[in-house]
Parts: sequence; C-alpha cells; structure tokens
Amino acid sequence: ANMILLTHNMMVSPMKEASKSVPLKIEAEEVQELEKEFNLDFLVNIIDRLDWAGFLEAAAILNQQGLPSSTEEIDKTNEESMRKLHHALMEVDVVTGALVCTETGRRFPIAGGIPNMLLNQDEL
Amino acid sequence: DIGCGNGKYLSTNPKVWMHGCDRSPNLLQHCTANKHDVLVADALELPYKSSAFDAAISIAVIHHLSTEERRVAALKEALRVVRPGGVLLVYNWALEQEGRFGGFKEQDQLIPWHLNKKFGTDVVGHGEKAEEKHCVVYKRFYHLFKEGETERLFEAAGGNTVRQSYYDHANWCAIVEKQALSM
Repeated sequence: ANMILLTHNMMVSPMKEASKSVPLKIEAEEVQELEKEFNLDFLVNIIDRLDWAGFLEAAAILNQQGLPSSTEEIDKTNEESMRKLHHALMEVDVVTGALVCTETGRRFPIAGGIPNMLLNQDEL
Repeated sequence: DIGCGNGKYLSTNPKVWMHGCDRSPNLLQHCTANKHDVLVADALELPYKSSAFDAAISIAVIHHLSTEERRVAALKEALRVVRPGGVLLVYNWALEQEGRFGGFKEQDQLIPWHLNKKFGTDVVGHGEKAEEKHCVVYKRFYHLFKEGETERLFEAAGGNTVRQSYYDHANWCAIVEKQALSM
C-alpha cells in the first residue's frame, strides 16, 4: 500500500484535542517513486479540493521542487507542469516514517506505506 | 471505504480515487499487493478532514459495533468526512435473512468463523477449539439490523437525507445524502 501526498492532503490528526483543521507533519524515512497513470481530468478536478499550502509544505519535505506557489498560477494546458504536479501528488510514496500531529506532538507511524492512525486506549 | 478489509472494493471504478481504512492491519496487508491507498484507523475516529470526499461506503462494518450509541457515532463520522451533497452507502446484515445466518431471533449475536484447517490449528487470540471439526473457531460480534433500523439510526445521526433504502442479499442498505448545513 502507499502513502502519497494526495492521501496526506485529505488527512488530519484524529486526536481528541486536535482541531481537525491543520495538516499532519510528514517525517519521511524511506520514500519510493511510483508510476500512476496520468489523468488530466482527475487532476483538474482534484486541484480545487486540495489545501494548497499544506500540499506545498509536504512536497518540500519530500524534495518535490518547482510546483506553482498558488492554484492561480497553475496552467492546465501546460502538460509538462501538470505532469510534474501529477508526480508530486500521486507518485511519491512514503514507505516508512511518521505523520505527526503538530498540536499534540503525537506520532502516528507509517510502515509498509500504511499509516497507523489508531488511538491508544488512554487517548480515547 | 470505511472498513475496507482486504480492499476488494477499492478497484471498483478506476476513474475514481478511493481511499480505504480498516481497524485490522493484517487485512490491510492484502491491499499492499494491489498498491491501494489505505491506512489503519477506527471508524469512530476517522483521520480524514471534514467534507474531504465526494462519497463513502461502509459495507458490513457498522453491524460489528456493540452499542447503538457507537453505531450512530460511526454514521456521524462517515457523514462528517463526506462533502455536503455527497453520498454515503451502508450495508449491514439483516436479522430477517434466511439461510446460513438466518433464523436468529435476537439482534445481538456472536457468529462463529471456522478457520479452514489448512491455515493452521493453533488457537490464536480469542479463538476456541471446535472439537467436532478439529479446527479453530472465532466468534465475532454482530448486531443484526431490523427493517427500518438503518433509517432510525440516520435520523439520530442528523444532517442527512436517506435517498434510498432497500434489502439486498441478506443486508439492510441505505444510500444517504449529506445535507448542506450542519456538521
């Protein structure tokens, strides 16, 4: 299984005390590159759903450079830049690492590309 | 897919991006081979942003929760992560079903799973030896749904409109739309 930046962008910390409105912070140990079919229609749809600032911050942690600094700067007709966006969003996979709740400090481990977001008994 | 298990529904429509979550890390290992996007989570504490998804499914999951309070909470969480106007599909085993798991009078049941001997006969976790069949049995909690119960739970959850409810192969099912306001 995979932990890609699209997934990360849809996630928040499940901790009771967390606001459910800030991104988790990625700690990446092992990262791999995937190959996913490029689908321009899908990408155009999904751009409007992304927390763009959160995406850029996470992309930077995973060394993805040269992305538009705002959605207004995206040129949907520029295939090269759209493929770059596709790559950063869909093809960079955090295999081992963690997702950190920045509000509580709680680390949720990622192993085999699967984040474990279960709370402990005393966190419920 | 809330309670996606081995990921069997995650490839249903290749034009749609699906994310799966399940409480069982072992079941999710099956998703690894198929390169699905999944994570380990509890249906009552979903690690997704509110209104993140256009749609959600929860198939044969909520019937494992042992109190009505938790079942309603699970529906609320499922609705939370769907966008206003988005849809949720739920399937739960029916009390009224006939056949192998039919004939129950009480809704709360422990239903046995006989593990095929070829997968081992050591008792693991809460399994028990089934002497007659020389295999291990795991009893799983089910709250079998009655006709009308799904609608009643969605009413209690609030912020939604039941668009369709129906009986399908021993399951009570509903397609529900998240309302524009609240949540």
